[in-house]
Amino acid sequence: MEISRRDFMHIAAIFGLGAATSGMASPKTIEQISLKDIYDFKAMGNFTLLHMCDIHAHIKPLYWREPSTLISAPNLVGTPGFLCGEAFAKHYGLEPSSLDAYFDTYIDFDILAKKFGKMGGVAHIKTYLDHVRKERGKENVLFLDSGDTWQGTGVALKTQGEAIVKAQNYLGVDVMVGHWEFTYGKERVKELIEMLKAKFISQNVIGDDSFADDYEELIFEPYTIEERGGAKIGIIGQSFPFTSTANPKEFTEGWSFGLRLDTLQEYVNELKKEHKVDCVVVLSHDGFSVDQEVARQVHGIDFILSGHTHDPSPKPIVIDGTVIVIAGSHGKFIGRLDINAKGGKVLGYEYKLVPIASNMIPADPEGVKLVEELYTPFAKEFNEVLGKTKNTLYKRDTFFSTFDQLINDAIMDEMKCDISFTPGYRWGTTVLAGEDILMDNVYEMCGITYPNVYTFELKGGKIATLLEDIADNVFNANPLYQQGGDMSRLGGVTYSISVANKAGTRISKLMIGGKPIDLEKTYIVSSWGGNLQNAGENLQKEKIRAVYDITRDYIKRQKVVNVSNKGNVTLVDYDCGCPTKGSRGC
Amino acid sequence: MKRRDFFKKLGTVVAISAVAPMMSFGADEKKAKGPNELSYEKALEAITNGKGAKPSAKVHLKVPEIAENGAVVPVSVEVDSPMTEQDYVKTIHIFATKNNNSRCLAVHFTPANGKAMLATRVKLGSTQDIAAIVEMSDGTFLSASQSVKVTIGGCG
Repeated sequence: MEISRRDFMHIAAIFGLGAATSGMASPKTIEQISLKDIYDFKAMGNFTLLHMCDIHAHIKPLYWREPSTLISAPNLVGTPGFLCGEAFAKHYGLEPSSLDAYFDTYIDFDILAKKFGKMGGVAHIKTYLDHVRKERGKENVLFLDSGDTWQGTGVALKTQGEAIVKAQNYLGVDVMVGHWEFTYGKERVKELIEMLKAKFISQNVIGDDSFADDYEELIFEPYTIEERGGAKIGIIGQSFPFTSTANPKEFTEGWSFGLRLDTLQEYVNELKKEHKVDCVVVLSHDGFSVDQEVARQVHGIDFILSGHTHDPSPKPIVIDGTVIVIAGSHGKFIGRLDINAKGGKVLGYEYKLVPIASNMIPADPEGVKLVEELYTPFAKEFNEVLGKTKNTLYKRDTFFSTFDQLINDAIMDEMKCDISFTPGYRWGTTVLAGEDILMDNVYEMCGITYPNVYTFELKGGKIATLLEDIADNVFNANPLYQQGGDMSRLGGVTYSISVANKAGTRISKLMIGGKPIDLEKTYIVSSWGGNLQNAGENLQKEKIRAVYDITRDYIKRQKVVNVSNKGNVTLVDYDCGCPTKGSRGC
Repeated sequence: MKRRDFFKKLGTVVAISAVAPMMSFGADEKKAKGPNELSYEKALEAITNGKGAKPSAKVHLKVPEIAENGAVVPVSVEVDSPMTEQDYVKTIHIFATKNNNSRCLAVHFTPANGKAMLATRVKLGSTQDIAAIVEMSDGTFLSASQSVKVTIGGCG
């Protein structure tokens, strides 16, 4: 059923009141849910923290399908951070076909997308933020951003992040940390921070060039103290600890990252003892599972506002007295955290993960205007229709997703390689079945500052070792040794994987081009978005080209793309993509 | 203690970084082994005279979980000790347990050092444990170890 926004607001006006007064616990359909339900919150305490993370430069509303496979080591599967689909719905008690089910899981995504429409967008986010600011009083609200904000769309890439900084200034972000921000390079990061009205903080970025003035010094302020509602709030920044291994080192040469839990503990103590803050917050891009480990090892943190792993977590988790929240990705959610803190103590809190349903939360006209201004210079290129897709194209899942497969198909078609590697990062877009694919969508999938596809030679044995290495970054049983991404996506390859096996022994039945891998044979490999080319030989320099250009040309040649969701990986130790805790199945 | 404070203090203790060249080869495990090859097990046996070392919370080994660059992995060790004539740390050994030559360095202390600590950088050929073996003045050996992942990365 298609409902225009005007129809909806009309319906909401009729049903909204009814829904609220009848005390309906979980609204089911668009006819029954209203703006009031979305806004509904039991306000408490003396101030509110609003939180967003990983919007990946999506200043316009989009479709974003959550994963249908989210596998990890057996001790982690089915726990917050490794929950998806049916297991997620069960864990959080979601009603099927509800707005929350649509926002939080992949189940019936295509059908519900038609019903509920697009998600996020800064104009809609702003309306919600202003609603809270009005309700609570502006002076009692702080808006925190866990990073992965400046990068992820065409408009971000073309303006080297500037468009997104403008959007953040419009939204009124107060404090942020970073990860993909750093892929614009150190100098550009500093320029953008100049334009940014928010504070950029990080206790875990330290100079490590022994010839530089900042050797062993902090690159950013480690923390900030803000006053809201009469409370002193200490906020410590934690940027992505593995930036220099997950992304090319050249962007952050001379800066060292890492978790740095010993200094984190020192700053927590300093804020409490010297500055007598009422509440200690860590604004983090560590990832949801790593932050659970941080809470175990560092004492005295009241709240961790997490990011990086893109988990929508409807409920906070509490570990050793530290409350951890994370607010999904792509601008789909804003986390609202009301806190009562005084006398150096947190006395209570209330949390809600608020879905930014763009068909229900009206757009702020100023935001609509801003987005239009930012997109206009690139409208011609971005709006070009490249082709259509037969099936839904999405990104996410542990091993395989359709949009990644399309990119691998494009690379293999052009490069005539045996194997194609596409990175397993978790941002991108979703294009619904039957819809046009725009150039803007291609940038949403692969608009990075190091887009080159490299084609080179690798021995079979090396390929096998590399795959095991990547698998251990994803499936290590200790979250501190994970990098928070998914497996690299492979074209031309099929394999089986036993996730629970020891490092170096997870992958079996590795086939290349339908034949068992020959460890002595040299294969032609194409790869982008990683460091793999550094491990290869005989780089074919004349073939180097940007991945978004390769993908665009391929879709144009195909006109209609038809990528099935069958996948190329056999999971040995689980029966489904979204297992529940302690089991093989769902 | 802050890192920069640490380096300031280091000047008054033992200037380790300067005197500790990278002794480990960090070569690919599959390559032919060089003349200085020595496994961790053999080295440990030689140093402790077959006694072995006891894991101890007194040995504070600090290494990253994931190396930003396997060629220069920062390692620091501090041992709780009164550093008196009666009770002091004699030697701290650092091992890269899977490098062909697992010995990275050995630093000797006397009570005059006041504090038993050192910081250096080591080269790792692959993901492995880094171990600190500490010889105490009473002839006992303490140890601490932690895994360091050396990865090509690329997950984003």
